Amino acid sequence: MLDKILFLLCLASALADERCMPDTPHGFQVRLSIKTALGDEAYVWNENEMFLFRASLAFAMRNHMNGQQFEVSNIIVCNETMRVSFWFIVTSPLDTSQLIDQENVEAAIRQSRNRINSAFLLTDKTLEFVDILPTLATLYTHPTPPWLIVFGVVMGAVGAGIIIMLVSSVVQKKRKTNGKPQDKDDDEETRVKTVENGDAHDGVHNMSFSEDERFTKM
Amino acid sequence: MLEYVHKRHHCKLLNPCLNAELQKWVGKYNYPHTTRGITWRRSQDADMEKDARPNWDSPMQFVLACVSYAVGLGNVWRFPYLCQMHGGGGFLIPYFIMLLVEGVPLFYMELAIGQKMRLGSIGAWTAISPYLGGVGLASVVTSLYLCLYYNIINAWSFWYLFHSFQSVLPWAVCPINANRTAPIEECERASPTQYFFYRETLNISSTIEENGGIHTGQALCFLLTWVITYLCVVRGVQSTGKVVYFTATFPYVVLFIYLIRGFTLHGAVNGVKYMFTPKMDQLANPTTWINAATQIFFSLGLGFGSLIAFSSYNQYNNNFERQAITVSLINSGTSIFASIVTFAIYGFKATINYENCLERTRILLLNTFNLAEDTINMDNVFEWIEKLNATYPEQFNEIANDTGNCDLEKELATAVEGPGLAFIVYSEAITNMPLSQLWSVLYFIMLLLLGVGSMLGNITAIITPLQDFKAASLFLAGLVCLFCLLLGLGFTTTSGNYWFTIFNDYGATFSLLFIVLIEVITVSYIYGIKRFEKDIEDMLGHRPNWYWKIMWVAISPLLLIVLFVFYIVNYIMGGTPTYQAWDKEEVSFSFFF
Repeated sequence: MLDKILFLLCLASALADERCMPDTPHGFQVRLSIKTALGDEAYVWNENEMFLFRASLAFAMRNHMNGQQFEVSNIIVCNETMRVSFWFIVTSPLDTSQLIDQENVEAAIRQSRNRINSAFLLTDKTLEFVDILPTLATLYTHPTPPWLIVFGVVMGAVGAGIIIMLVSSVVQKKRKTNGKPQDKDDDEETRVKTVENGDAHDGVHNMSFSEDERFTKM
Repeated sequence: MLEYVHKRHHCKLLNPCLNAELQKWVGKYNYPHTTRGITWRRSQDADMEKDARPNWDSPMQFVLACVSYAVGLGNVWRFPYLCQMHGGGGFLIPYFIMLLVEGVPLFYMELAIGQKMRLGSIGAWTAISPYLGGVGLASVVTSLYLCLYYNIINAWSFWYLFHSFQSVLPWAVCPINANRTAPIEECERASPTQYFFYRETLNISSTIEENGGIHTGQALCFLLTWVITYLCVVRGVQSTGKVVYFTATFPYVVLFIYLIRGFTLHGAVNGVKYMFTPKMDQLANPTTWINAATQIFFSLGLGFGSLIAFSSYNQYNNNFERQAITVSLINSGTSIFASIVTFAIYGFKATINYENCLERTRILLLNTFNLAEDTINMDNVFEWIEKLNATYPEQFNEIANDTGNCDLEKELATAVEGPGLAFIVYSEAITNMPLSQLWSVLYFIMLLLLGVGSMLGNITAIITPLQDFKAASLFLAGLVCLFCLLLGLGFTTTSGNYWFTIFNDYGATFSLLFIVLIEVITVSYIYGIKRFEKDIEDMLGHRPNWYWKIMWVAISPLLLIVLFVFYIVNYIMGGTPTYQAWDKEEVSFSFFF
């Protein structure tokens, strides 16, 4: 009896291994680049990490297909390489001979991609599911494009500058036409002033003609 | 009676009658230094003041205006290309020879004409010989062509400047497509910087025949550029003179900052070494000498009438000989300075591209052969390529096309000139620098100042002769700017860049050679070199050296004739002119006729 059970188990596991192979139509290839992502803080890839991977994949499947209780044993992994890449397939929890089709697996992974990534401290680029395109985050679109704001500021400043220039030149012109008849009167006055007041208050006092010598020295 | 307005010294004399006599005697002569100390003004001539020619506030303003005009975008994006194409450091030899033989004498001559005639180009040439007023008119028309298309470059600079105020520079990453699965295809096949320039800035069409609508953002920036240009010339030399303090000096500040930044970049030294290793065999190629002559000629901005216009506002005794030599040397020095910076940036960009290429190859090898991550690193990529090729030849053949084509020399040898250099190559390098928004803002402000400085010269070249004909109108400058703005809107359409290329390549080059050739022949033979000598002696106080005379009479005209013939031959032999069009599907350039 035990022999038969053992034989059946070996057969089952052999069957399961045969279904998981490179380029299988039911599974995907996974590639991890731990050293690229973490550098010195990279962890070593071992069986425990693989267990975590299978568990997180089971979690993703449970999230996507409501009601079905996926276990770690439903995730079958094969062809592990030094690169840290491998293939996996997913069996149904109700019937282990049935495999979940690719679309469902892809949808499940897409849905929980973030959670799987953070379980391994990796990103979309360093934890690659080959042939599953990550959903890219769109850049934040501003309600008003920022360039328009800067443009408005500069345009406003320049426009104000032009208005100031035009207004000041008009004001200057007005001042000139008003000030001209007065200028001529000022000329007469200053000339008269220079004649009457010999020395002005600013300027260099010319010592050779100082008024102190009104009284000649004895 | 004379009345004096003192600026610094109060001249106190004993006897007011003696004072008046002395002043009458002193007022006869124009001492150059009196412009700073005391300004003499006749009160009864106050009415004539309105018609008296405005002047630069100081000779420094004139020098800075000439520097601002001559040092333009060509120094940044044409000279480094020529240097690279014609043997690096060796190109400096023909460049300096042409500067001495052609550049400085012609520059000197234009300044002399302007300062002597004290009129714009039309009036000056009509005064020299009544039959040759057409030369001045040709200068004005050429300046007009340039004004039409040159400001679009400033509009692009504004566009990039305004877009630098974002947390992620928009030309650093590709925008995502509608499905959120991948970046936009056109962007992915080209590069984000090319996509931003050709698609988002220009929205370029596939051929010159397809005229789409006006790009609104471009048109707004274009309007802003013209408003700023108007603001700088609205009061003539009074306003231009103040603006050039900034436009002439700030680009050097930025270039210096970039020099320091450039040399501290990873791999910059590769570029500078590549540039300065002279390849002397290029000197035997006549194209090298032709290109050196052409570069000097266009870089100094001869023939547009701007130099004549600027120097017509000088004091009669201004020492323009020294200024001509100074400005020409500053212009050439700036070209070399800018090309050192450009080559540092080239070296940085080439090194980054090379290292990215190595990284891609490394990952490809790791993925294909499933090796552990740390077996291949950047240094032993090539060894591993050979090893894997030997051990797994069939598997290697599948990826053979994508490996082994990382070449630093090839990256350095890709030379770019023109707007492509300024807006694509440089902006790509900026995205790789830390704190890229700051560098971007600095860089595009520098481009703006270089461009606006040159524009001021050309606008002045148009306005000055027109103002000589009728009384100065406040609105003349505005009308010219408005006219150029409306016509220039055509360059903001989707095919605008092709029109821009046509204007840039063919609009002014031919005419300028012809104009300056006629100018130098006129001055040397029709006006007479002896008369010209006397005029210079009258202004400067000494006759020009025998060197200048030989240049004006013999060498420069000969050189210009050689250049002119070469251009004609090239034009005829070149067949139908072509232009490069951006193909949206192919994401590359195709040639059209």
